[in-house]
Amino acid sequence: MPEKPSKVRAALISGAVIGALSSVPGISLINCCCCAGVWLGGVLSLYLYKQELTEGMPPLESSDALMLGLMAGVVGAFTATIVNVLILVTFGPVEAELVKSIVGKFLDRMAEQGSMTSDMVDTIKEQVEASIRDSGRLSNIFGGLFITLIVYPIFAILGALLGFAMFRPKAPPQTTVAS
Amino acid sequence: MKFTDRVYLILLMLVAAWCGGLLLAPVLSGTMPEVSSALYSCYEPICHQIDARSFHLHGGKVAVCARCSSIYFGFFLALMVYPLFRRFGAQSLPARSWIVLAVGPMALDVLLNASGVHASTLFTRAVTGGLFGFVVPFYIVPVLTEGVTQLRDQFISRGGLSYARKAQ
Repeated sequence: MPEKPSKVRAALISGAVIGALSSVPGISLINCCCCAGVWLGGVLSLYLYKQELTEGMPPLESSDALMLGLMAGVVGAFTATIVNVLILVTFGPVEAELVKSIVGKFLDRMAEQGSMTSDMVDTIKEQVEASIRDSGRLSNIFGGLFITLIVYPIFAILGALLGFAMFRPKAPPQTTVAS
Repeated sequence: MKFTDRVYLILLMLVAAWCGGLLLAPVLSGTMPEVSSALYSCYEPICHQIDARSFHLHGGKVAVCARCSSIYFGFFLALMVYPLFRRFGAQSLPARSWIVLAVGPMALDVLLNASGVHASTLFTRAVTGGLFGFVVPFYIVPVLTEGVTQLRDQFISRGGLSYARKAQ
């Protein structure tokens, strides 16, 4: 019986997708909903790996989903950090500026409606400004990598497990043995 | 205690810690602001943490928004009741259609809000997110317990640590 294919290809592709979804300005907002981009990457890793399995190979197992999610999450964390740094070096804090403009408009609307005082709005705007200034610091980049190295594999594993539940091989029909 | 039971208990404790962190962030903001700030930072990469879209506790916002909070607490609740309804192992996976039914309302709430057709509220975010969070463990837990058991068996068959052999 031929052995199962290596998981590296599926993990690298889905990790790259996780990295792109998590770092490209605008698109990365998808992760604002419970790391949805990382979940999708986990599901994708399982789907890609299943496509590589041919007839005669051992069936897809739950342990494959665990390993694929873990690998895709780690690759995704590194890819996201590298792409983030490249974008930061090339264009500056584009994403932070985008978030700043969205939050700024939102806060202004809140102040107009009277939901927030102008002091509160100014304080929050200052905090956002400070976080943009800090975003390029080396300690922040490594801190971000540390957190994503923990968080991304968790959510990618969840995605891969969910993918296994969705794309699982059909159970073979039960046969009765005549005694 | 069976190995799958231990895996389940560890998962339950991890999710409890994750949900506890969400609530500790606002609770500690008055007494231990550094710890509270660190907790908010930990959850920052996974949520926008916009104040107006979050539940509040002790005057501070919960560490993630209302939708995310509902997903995590729905997940935790389902995890607690899971052993009452299902067994561990991929043979007890529910039908695929349930996950579509669980994602549907949340996706609809997000899409309709983004297109301006309907304005999502804290209530709709909490209900649709909670529904999704409650259904997901019924797919995750059987696969996870079976997967970890398979990994352990593979590890032992390749001559893993002696304590693993003893555990078997």
